[in-house]
Amino acid sequence: MLEWLIKFQRMDRRWVFLGMAIAIFIPLVFPLQLPFRVDKEVRDVYRQVEKLPEGSAVLISADFDPASVPEIGPFFTTHLHHLFRRNLKPVLVTLWPTAIPLVLPEIKAIAKTYNKKYGEDFVFLGYKEGKELVIKNIGQNIFQQFPTDYDGTPLPDLPIMQGRRQAKDFPLIVSISAGFPGLNEYVLQIQGQYNLNMVGVCTAVGGPDYIPFYKSGQLKGLSMGMPGSAQYEKLVWKDKPAPGVKLLATAAMDVLNLGHVFIIVLIIMGNIAFFITRRIEEA
Amino acid sequence: MRTTLPLIITFIVGVFMLGEFFIPHWYYQHIKTLVLEFGTVIAGVAFLLGVINLTQVNLPRVLERQPDWIYKAIMLGSMVVTTFFGFWEAGPRMEDGMVYKWLFDFLLVPLNATMFSLLAFYIASAAFRAFRARNAEATVLLVAACIVMLARVPIGEQIPVIGSYLSVFQNWLMDVPNVAARRAIFVGAALGAIATGVRIILGIERSHLGSD
Repeated sequence: MLEWLIKFQRMDRRWVFLGMAIAIFIPLVFPLQLPFRVDKEVRDVYRQVEKLPEGSAVLISADFDPASVPEIGPFFTTHLHHLFRRNLKPVLVTLWPTAIPLVLPEIKAIAKTYNKKYGEDFVFLGYKEGKELVIKNIGQNIFQQFPTDYDGTPLPDLPIMQGRRQAKDFPLIVSISAGFPGLNEYVLQIQGQYNLNMVGVCTAVGGPDYIPFYKSGQLKGLSMGMPGSAQYEKLVWKDKPAPGVKLLATAAMDVLNLGHVFIIVLIIMGNIAFFITRRIEEA
Repeated sequence: MRTTLPLIITFIVGVFMLGEFFIPHWYYQHIKTLVLEFGTVIAGVAFLLGVINLTQVNLPRVLERQPDWIYKAIMLGSMVVTTFFGFWEAGPRMEDGMVYKWLFDFLLVPLNATMFSLLAFYIASAAFRAFRARNAEATVLLVAACIVMLARVPIGEQIPVIGSYLSVFQNWLMDVPNVAARRAIFVGAALGAIATGVRIILGIERSHLGSD
């Protein structure tokens, strides 16, 4: 018995990997589709968009890479649908070079389904290196930081940019961030200085870092990781997505369900084995 | 002079940038924007330095066939190939049919996603080994982790009787102890950053000049 318990505690990690793989695989084949609640933080993100008057422009900083797409990509997609559906105008920038091929085809494809015109209803300003300096310049003067959009059109020639020279000219700023530079830097560099109306989207692991900003009112809403994206999908689509739209984060919640349960069961079993072993050894 | 001039520049730029928050005059703000633009340009040039540094460090190790030279060769090769196609296929725009786009879609995306996905497996293994209730502190950490993990997914809400309480307790953990600890860290880090900033501006801290 003792020997078996010690072996269990020191089992080859490949068994754990196998168990995790099974926990991920099962819900992909047999979806559980359990209902879930919507957190106040995510509801606040939704409300911030809902209360904007039609025709308003929203500055989106899409700062993520392929690794974080499963978590925050579904939010980005749903957010664009939400904005276009409400006739709002997204102005996109990115501080991550790896984000360009992820965000540009997405916004162009979604804009097409709503018959939105590039330059009038949406625009992509592209990527700029400089991290916090770029953020600082976005707060001060976007035209100076991005003289042209991604396609090389001068910003003054774009109808969507008329009267929108700096961050405070946008009634809402959305930072979709997988790390540095991103949400933290936007809050530190320009949110406080210009008192910007801002919401944040982050990975689950980064969530606890940004909750203090939400609690202090610096962020008006916050979506954390895959659960946040799934909750936002639920708010925007009310369980009835438009034809062709897939609720990726909602589907992925099943994987999280069993994955988390598997880890908790492992921890409990490990502790039971630990206590029994210790008691036997003490005896 | 090699030390004095950078110290003078650091002092002038540091004090000037601090003034931004106190002097709203348009010309001052205009100069500040220009200085920020210099910074962006310098950051761009730093990329070039990065490439040179990476080559300087890794190329000799590849040529001398030092341990793990093959990984360094792959890294340098990838850098050269990606940079070549990036320039050859005309600038930063990526379109279907480009080799540069192919490299991104079929190499970077799957590799990047794989690296991040592996975390799930390693976290499961690490949690199994590390989360042991050996003492009171470890037990608190263990219980808090399990509650947050369970309450963050729908299955936690479905547990009879305790499901709704789990969510309330998870919110309390995230909103009270977590926020308190994070704020303490933020304030401490901010005070440290202010102190370091003042030391650099005044020339007391000189490690950025390459001296002690």
